[in-house]
Amino acid sequence: MTVIAFTWGEFFQQVVFGLAVGAVYASLALALVIIYRTTRVLNFAQGEMAMFTTYIAWALMTHHGFSFWPAFFLTIAIAFALGAGIERVVIRPFEGGSPLTLILVTIALFVIFNGLAAWIWTPEQRVFPSPFSAKSFTVAGVAISRQDVGVIVVTLITVVVLWAFFRFTKLGLGMRAAALGPEPSRLLGVRVPWMFALGWGFASALGAVSGMMVAPSLFLSPTMMQVVLIYSFAAAVLGGIESPAGAVLGGLLLGLGTTLLGRYVDVVGTELELPVAFGILVLVLILRPGGLVGRAAVRRV
Amino acid sequence: MKTLLVTGVAGLVAALAITIPGALAGTAATPGVTKTSVTIGTTMPITGPANFYASIGAGMRAYFSYINARKAKSDGKRGVYGRQIVFKVEDDGYNPVNTLQKTRKLVEQDHVLAMVGGLGTEAQLAVRGYLNQQKVPQIYVSTGSTQFGAEHKQFPWSIGWQPDYLQEGIALGKYIRGRNANAKVAVLYQDDQYGKDLLGGFRKTAGRMITATESYPVGSTAVSSQVARLRASGADTFLIIAIPGPTITALVTAYRIGWRPTLLVNSVGATDVWITAAQNSAGSPEAVNGIVTTTYLKDPAQPNYQKDPQVKFYKALMAKYLPNANVNNSQYYYGMAKAADFVQALYRAGKSPTRASLIRAVDNLTYKSPWVLPGANISTSPRSPFPMKYQKYARYNNGSYTEFGAMQKIR
Amino acid sequence: MRIAARALVYAAILAVIVVLPHFLGAFRTRELAYVGVYAIALLGLNVLTGFAGQISLGHGAFMALGAYTTAILSVNHGVNELATIPLGGLVAGVAGFLFGFPALRLAGVYLALATFGLAVVVPALAQRFDTFTGGQAGLLLPLPTSPASRLTPETWLYYVTWAIAVVLFAAAILLLRGKTGRALRGIRENELAAVSSGISLARYKTLAFGVSAFYAGIAGSIFAILNSFVNPLAFPIDLSILLLIGLVVGGVGSLLAVLAGAAFVHYIPLEVGSIPARAIDFAQKLGIPVSDLDPTTPGVPSVFYGAILLLIVIVAPQGVAGLLRQLGALTKRVYSRPIPVEARVTPSRRDA
Repeated sequence: MTVIAFTWGEFFQQVVFGLAVGAVYASLALALVIIYRTTRVLNFAQGEMAMFTTYIAWALMTHHGFSFWPAFFLTIAIAFALGAGIERVVIRPFEGGSPLTLILVTIALFVIFNGLAAWIWTPEQRVFPSPFSAKSFTVAGVAISRQDVGVIVVTLITVVVLWAFFRFTKLGLGMRAAALGPEPSRLLGVRVPWMFALGWGFASALGAVSGMMVAPSLFLSPTMMQVVLIYSFAAAVLGGIESPAGAVLGGLLLGLGTTLLGRYVDVVGTELELPVAFGILVLVLILRPGGLVGRAAVRRV
Repeated sequence: MKTLLVTGVAGLVAALAITIPGALAGTAATPGVTKTSVTIGTTMPITGPANFYASIGAGMRAYFSYINARKAKSDGKRGVYGRQIVFKVEDDGYNPVNTLQKTRKLVEQDHVLAMVGGLGTEAQLAVRGYLNQQKVPQIYVSTGSTQFGAEHKQFPWSIGWQPDYLQEGIALGKYIRGRNANAKVAVLYQDDQYGKDLLGGFRKTAGRMITATESYPVGSTAVSSQVARLRASGADTFLIIAIPGPTITALVTAYRIGWRPTLLVNSVGATDVWITAAQNSAGSPEAVNGIVTTTYLKDPAQPNYQKDPQVKFYKALMAKYLPNANVNNSQYYYGMAKAADFVQALYRAGKSPTRASLIRAVDNLTYKSPWVLPGANISTSPRSPFPMKYQKYARYNNGSYTEFGAMQKIR
Repeated sequence: MRIAARALVYAAILAVIVVLPHFLGAFRTRELAYVGVYAIALLGLNVLTGFAGQISLGHGAFMALGAYTTAILSVNHGVNELATIPLGGLVAGVAGFLFGFPALRLAGVYLALATFGLAVVVPALAQRFDTFTGGQAGLLLPLPTSPASRLTPETWLYYVTWAIAVVLFAAAILLLRGKTGRALRGIRENELAAVSSGISLARYKTLAFGVSAFYAGIAGSIFAILNSFVNPLAFPIDLSILLLIGLVVGGVGSLLAVLAGAAFVHYIPLEVGSIPARAIDFAQKLGIPVSDLDPTTPGVPSVFYGAILLLIVIVAPQGVAGLLRQLGALTKRVYSRPIPVEARVTPSRRDA
């Protein structure tokens, strides 16, 4: 295992970059966890929905003259409505049914969103504008990308806002209750079906944030979020599929870990980044079947 | 019990449904040729990580549409000797296994006369054995893989078109050696035959100057770690052997981490459209200015070609057949140039072309193509199955490429 | 009587399989060989996911293991291609069995994602260790030849594939009947209850994984021979997902399910490009005003495909097999005496 030319400056650059990558995984992983917690569905289409809403943002900016931040917030609102709508119309009829069927439904959604994006906007790769200046900060002689820092900050703010919502508002409380126990919540007056729809809405909005933050680097195309989704699944499971904190932690760790390993460990190189990530995931699961933060259902038989 | 009966009946019905259409399909005397049409096929990555190459297929189709509509000067007939060219494009998603399936479909179900312009080094190598076994011409593959020309004797039905990667690598190596003998070169390359081919050529002339090489897997655009490692090797020159997606990422990442090397980009990733995208994404022309690459066709985006009659003709065809496409994307031009060469060969295959007469025509095609660099021509012979033998250096600056240096004869 | 009737129908289906190549050209025969390959893989998946209830998103990886075993042995070591098939199955089977151990600690979602990880890791490993595997370029196997001059290579491979499929189908029936089948089904319904009735999770889960992977490995080996080519891109995650889709679309637990699923897995990706064109044609023939939609526009085939998947899930949640089972039940009702309401048995997720 050789380490190529180490400097502290570059290490710091890589850490920031890794956290930015991790932030993107974290928001998508959080979306996956929210949906799983509320409706027990593993949403394979999360990445494609994120990609689709990012295209909407792009269209707002390119064809309708919006500037970035207005487009950003409008897209979040649209994504929210889209997510809630999908839950209500497509997922609701299948809830409580066979998990295989649900997987197929989300796969169908994956395929449809992918196709729609390619159809409406053509598969050509597009440049997605970044709200952050392309210049870099210089901290102690090292160039730190403004883009990376911006992504980290935006993601953190989004996560904190969401946390505050769940923790401090009545609606948030209602959603948490509905996730923990739909029947008792219903008896207490919580409109459980609405909570499900809202869960999907929030998840979709999170996905949109994830997409809009990563698009400037990955370039907008219908396949943009596919690899991100894979990493986000890993992150969600790493943290514990039902733990929002775990998802964020998992995402950041995974982003940081793969970046640093890919840069500094020769054997891993870059072809093995994904397998190593999953290798680590499987290892963690063997030792802690509930993920890093989650609680495993007691299954000692 | 009844279920089983229903099963049996359903199975039988299905079997018949599959069988009957197949049994009814006949085969033409010469596959792909009728009195009024010639059918050819190709596989293109319309979906998947290389889908920006779909524009090549679109360019080819546009040119064939033009040929089908215009009256030839020689005999006044539309198409080639009065036959309309039917161009079947199948999507293989840049996955060689799909290429195999689709190629088989085109040969065995659609009975094409030949496969023309198939895209992708691995993809076309994967079907080469099959096509040669079936004696189906695999003409002008859209890849610079040296193997097609170099192994033409073993695979006489397969031939390439553009200057091969080995020669391109050699040329880029010569360039940097001539410019700065003490340069330290870091190389990013796609981990497949195409990448290794080009790198191999570069090593022949500038191998001693390489400080580090990093590869990335096909289909990925995540090359930031590689770029970081390459920079850490202390190089002052960066050679990018990649398709457009990762090329852009590499350029932008290098810029963002504060690296300003001399930039060499292979022709596959150097199309203007993408370099402009990289410049926009990085936010500064510094990220791309000075890129040196090789070129072998007139570049429709270059200012000095705007008055060239062929480029004007190209733009007219684009306006007619692909009005919503980006005219400056020289991949459309590439497709048309290739299609034009094919049409020339088809004429020379005679009034009743066969697969054998077609490949013979291709093997001997020599003419002054108006599409290639001024002063170059298409020249093919059985001893030298490399239709394009000329290339030039070009440098990118402030929005477009400019050719420089003498024309190089590479084969 | 029942058994005899069943045997008769199986014999009829066998006869159809034997006779088909005489009516089909080389192209269609080879296509049906691919269908046979997927049928074998789906038989395996049936055992694991259909019977034991363990969702696997990684069966493409087991196919890859079988395929690469065949490729490496025949290209690098000159072993006869057909002889490598059982070896391919063995390699994959052992891998599956070993995977079963860590899988014991995982349940449901976590297991599914671990298998997903497998699907991601195996092709990447194939790419990395390119000295054996040919890396990205892959390995080119010798083009298939037939031992008998009267049989074309395609027909020969077709018979080899279906012969293997028939044998494996019989083996699956024997395995799933009786104690093992009951144990697997018990695990699917309720793990806790199964364990309390004395079923060893360790034994049956690893068995299910091993057997299922063995089948997939054999399918992969034949796949490599049919393609005369392997490379990492031949086994993307899409393949694993497609197999799962094939399982759901075909249904679980019957021969028809496997055949229908296999046909779906092979034909849909190939034909998905032309579905929109045919749908538009059809709609126009019916007089429905369909706008001037260019069916070759990228993205359109995918939208149709996704819509078809949704339709299938809505109309036939138990897959084609379930649908035909219901049809069968319907014809039964039509021809037999009406059953009093109280005595009617509601169909449950039982297998055929």
